Amino acid sequence: MTPDEISNAITGALRQGGSQWLVATIVAFLPALWTTALILHLGRPYVVRTLRRMGLRLGADAWWMTYVLLRDAVLLITLGLSLIFFQPNLVANLDLPITGPLSALLLLLALAVKLWRRVDDDVTAYRLSTAFLVSGATLYYVALVFAVEGADMSYLAKFAEWFTSGSNPTVALGIMWVSLVGVVLVAAWLFVRALNSAARTMGRRLSRDQPQQPES
Amino acid sequence: MSVADLTNSIIAGINDGLEQFLEGTLVAILPVVWVAILGLHIGRPYILEMIDRFTLRLGADLLWIIYIVLRDLLVVGGVVMSFMFVFPDVVTGSQLPITGGLASVMLFGVLLVKLMGDPDHNLRDYRLVMYLLGLGATFYFVPYILGVQFNGEATGSLKSISDFLVTSSNPGWGVGIAYLSIALLAIMGAVAVVYALRTGGRPEAEEPTVAE
Repeated sequence: MTPDEISNAITGALRQGGSQWLVATIVAFLPALWTTALILHLGRPYVVRTLRRMGLRLGADAWWMTYVLLRDAVLLITLGLSLIFFQPNLVANLDLPITGPLSALLLLLALAVKLWRRVDDDVTAYRLSTAFLVSGATLYYVALVFAVEGADMSYLAKFAEWFTSGSNPTVALGIMWVSLVGVVLVAAWLFVRALNSAARTMGRRLSRDQPQQPES
Repeated sequence: MSVADLTNSIIAGINDGLEQFLEGTLVAILPVVWVAILGLHIGRPYILEMIDRFTLRLGADLLWIIYIVLRDLLVVGGVVMSFMFVFPDVVTGSQLPITGGLASVMLFGVLLVKLMGDPDHNLRDYRLVMYLLGLGATFYFVPYILGVQFNGEATGSLKSISDFLVTSSNPGWGVGIAYLSIALLAIMGAVAVVYALRTGGRPEAEEPTVAE
């Protein structure tokens, strides 16, 4: 091998290896984000209980703000990183949980409930978003723990083969496309809803700000 | 060796090396997290004593908020970082404390008690939290120090004991304990979900609202 060939090999390896490692790190980091999101969402009673004990409004507001920011930011980051489950090349070639796209769709639905209803005031909406979150997390955890991270166990070999995207690309891509359609539909609904809501509130404000015509 | 072989070897080296580095870093940070969790929980009387000395309610409230945010986020962080103890492949391939999974179960138990009880005001719940933390720390530190960290120095029967306490040299027990931990975490998680669904995200006992 010539020095140029070695140099090219190292460059290619750093590029491909780095990108593979980045995806692998995101996949490894997602369970941590899912767990944090679940703990923060389910821990609401504890946060409210502590909030009610605050002697000052300032302290209570700071506590609530920290909680809400952390909880919702973790949900958004988890959804953002779940984007890797909607990249066909990665899904077909890497060992990802086969149900990853479905869990991302359920996470988006939980966020949609938050935008649609006041989850912090409406018990039914809270229960609905909890159901979506827990279902999404369960779909993610089961495939990750027993398939992707259990592939070396002989008794889990069949399960691992079925539930890992790289070894079952046809089904994995099918699940991905179906979930992608769901994501697009939910995102479109959220988009139209945001536009309508903005048009309504801005229209109300404009009509309020307009000077009244003097009666003739 | 062809260029493609060299490229693939370097890719494999980068992936395996960085993955091992990440897991190794988590294993190295977890004892620090455990010490900080224990320190903050044991240090509660000190914080309360200091709060009593504040002349302004604002300062007292801020100190309490910072204390509970740090304390509780560290417990959440501890649970999240312990996730590797429930991955069968990681358990068999890495040198981890054999009862690390059970330690994470105890940490999750602490969160469950905080969710369903009131350890800051109820003595029984506070004691339960401290017992769980003590048990969790024992599950973590004993195999970590006597197993993972002592493994290279131990000889004779001590070496056998040390090997027993490390997952990679005792994969049968390691994976068994990992599955037990998964089952316990799943049961406790289900209890937390049922509680959240039943209460609708509200604390069960109604208490006076925040003073304006």
